[in-house]
Amino acid sequence: MTGTAATVDPLATDQTKPHRTLSDWYQDQTTLSLTAGVLGATSLSLLVIGTPILITTFGWVPSEKLAEAITSPAQGLLLWISLGLGLTGAALGWGTFRRMPNKAARETAVGGAVLGAQAVVLDVLFLWVRTGQVDVLVRQYFEFGLLADQGPRFVRAALNTLILSLAGETIGIVLGLVLAVFVLSRRRLVRAPARLYINFFRGTPLIWQLSFGWLGIVLALGLGVGPYLAAMLILGLNAGAYSAEIFRAGIESIDRGQFEAARSLGMSYGKALRHVILPQGVRRVIPPLTNEFVILIKDTSLVFILGLTFTQKELLSTARDLYAATFNATPWLAAAAGYLVITLPMIRLVRMLEERLRSGMTGIVGAQ
Amino acid sequence: MSPHDGFLRVEQVHKWFGDLHVLRGITVDVRPGEVIVLIGPSGSGKSTLLRTMNMLEEPTLGKVYFEGEDLTDVRVDLNMVRTRMGMVFQHFNLFPHKTALANVTLALETVLGLKGPDANERALQQLGDVGLQDKAGSYPSQLSGGQQQRVAIARALAMQPKLMLFDEVTSALDPELIKEVLDVMAKLASEGMTMVVVTHEMGFAREVGSRMLFMDEGLVIEEGDPREMFAEPQHPRTQEFFSQIL
Ligand SMILES: Nc1ncnc2c1ncn2[C@@H]1O[C@H](COP(=O)(O)OP(=O)(O)OP(=O)(O)O)[C@@H](O)[C@H]1O
Ligand SMILES: [Mg+2]
Repeated sequence: MTGTAATVDPLATDQTKPHRTLSDWYQDQTTLSLTAGVLGATSLSLLVIGTPILITTFGWVPSEKLAEAITSPAQGLLLWISLGLGLTGAALGWGTFRRMPNKAARETAVGGAVLGAQAVVLDVLFLWVRTGQVDVLVRQYFEFGLLADQGPRFVRAALNTLILSLAGETIGIVLGLVLAVFVLSRRRLVRAPARLYINFFRGTPLIWQLSFGWLGIVLALGLGVGPYLAAMLILGLNAGAYSAEIFRAGIESIDRGQFEAARSLGMSYGKALRHVILPQGVRRVIPPLTNEFVILIKDTSLVFILGLTFTQKELLSTARDLYAATFNATPWLAAAAGYLVITLPMIRLVRMLEERLRSGMTGIVGAQ
Repeated sequence: MSPHDGFLRVEQVHKWFGDLHVLRGITVDVRPGEVIVLIGPSGSGKSTLLRTMNMLEEPTLGKVYFEGEDLTDVRVDLNMVRTRMGMVFQHFNLFPHKTALANVTLALETVLGLKGPDANERALQQLGDVGLQDKAGSYPSQLSGGQQQRVAIARALAMQPKLMLFDEVTSALDPELIKEVLDVMAKLASEGMTMVVVTHEMGFAREVGSRMLFMDEGLVIEEGDPREMFAEPQHPRTQEFFSQIL
């Protein structure tokens, strides 16, 4: 039997990818979907945009004004309206999205339900807060006037946080690489001490390492190392243990065949590691290493126990000092904001690197 | 004959993996210009034997001599020895972060100490010999399996080895790509290269092999001329093996 030619529908091959415009989207909507969407969106915007506007009319500083704004009848009205709209939007969207005639209308209904639900949760929380001693809370934590002339001090503190963590990470990477190679050695005599080191630094709290390293070693022995340098070193010793595990996993994740191919060509262990294994391992190791860096940034907060001098202080010590001077907790808030300014971009970077690694995977494992 | 006079000699080699006795006393002599075909059922120890020849696996007992040197002697510089023996693997094991050309030049530069231009020239020539001059700039992931394996062969040959070891180099290939790799190997054999080939390609074994060894359960239990062995296998296990695969 001979085969027959498959018939091809000429129209099917002519199709171009549909391009949807805003008016296409609008035509797809139903009254119900639009109502749910608008209700949900309005309820949430009323809360997250309306509240700051209202507070601004009263004033953010001093805290009495802020407290007045939050407890004002106007804010109460705003919250109840937002709650009502949110509940309606959520109920309407949730109740009807299954019956929507098309995908666009369904997404709008679901969107309205989700936004409405978010508004409801936040409104209820806010209303509950208003039943407490708002003036006390605000006076303690939101006295923004206290921060007015502290800008330069916090910028320097943020820089110190960054310097300490960067120095720690740099030491950690170099140390971690060496430790990883040792831990992967065939020889127990090489492996064991590296393993001991890693387990010790991973198994004891960083705050213990900092206090013992500083008080117990540097000060008691009289080594003449300043607290700033000591902090960098101890953070680096600690980061080294964590980086070592990351490098070890990275190296082990490379197919054994890569190593064998390199050795079969006469390359030594070191050459194979340097030219074949590490270049492939490094790419896999960058996301977890960046992640570890984010943790280190936050861990620099523990160096407050080293007694840094005024200009050496990082974010948390600075907040502590200001707290001690004013008996007001608002500086803690500023410290948190400082950490976020540094860590959020790093967290984003990790995500981007992970994405890139995933999409570029063929270039890395393509040898199969 | 003293072992030191030979080319490659595996002598009374045993290998244990833990308690598993994988090679149980194997002696093989390889003479220059021979194409030894190593066949046998899965798990019989073919790969392990091949890998003891360049000491990727260290024999638990026994000796491996290559060009008069005892490779089991700890004083021997195995890296230098391995520059004289090429190996090609079932899964190619190309370096995925390097182009075809860089795969070939890496060991030329880092092991043999060739300068960049010299290494490139030799690598391009070698890639040309396996029909891949125009793929020099491609990464392994951009090449077909057959092309990747030919790059791997070029990578090994560029070191100008005296012996080539092949471990089931066509087993991971789609059927239509097998021939291009076997052709390269047949050409190499016809040029006089000494080869030890683990393979399931019986046609290749018959046409190209000068001697065939049949392994079973860690022992070489029959050896001889491939054509004769195919025509009249002596050992019952050999007969059984042929009846299963032919
Ligand atoms: N590194 C290792 N560790 C433990 N056992 C191993 C190792 N390498 C091989 N073996 C075992 O040794 C035996 C022989 O393996 P080998 O790879 O030499 O067989 P083979 O004849 O090449 O088989 P195949 O045709 O499947 O490749 C098998 O049972 C295998 O599981
Ligand atoms: Mg095998």
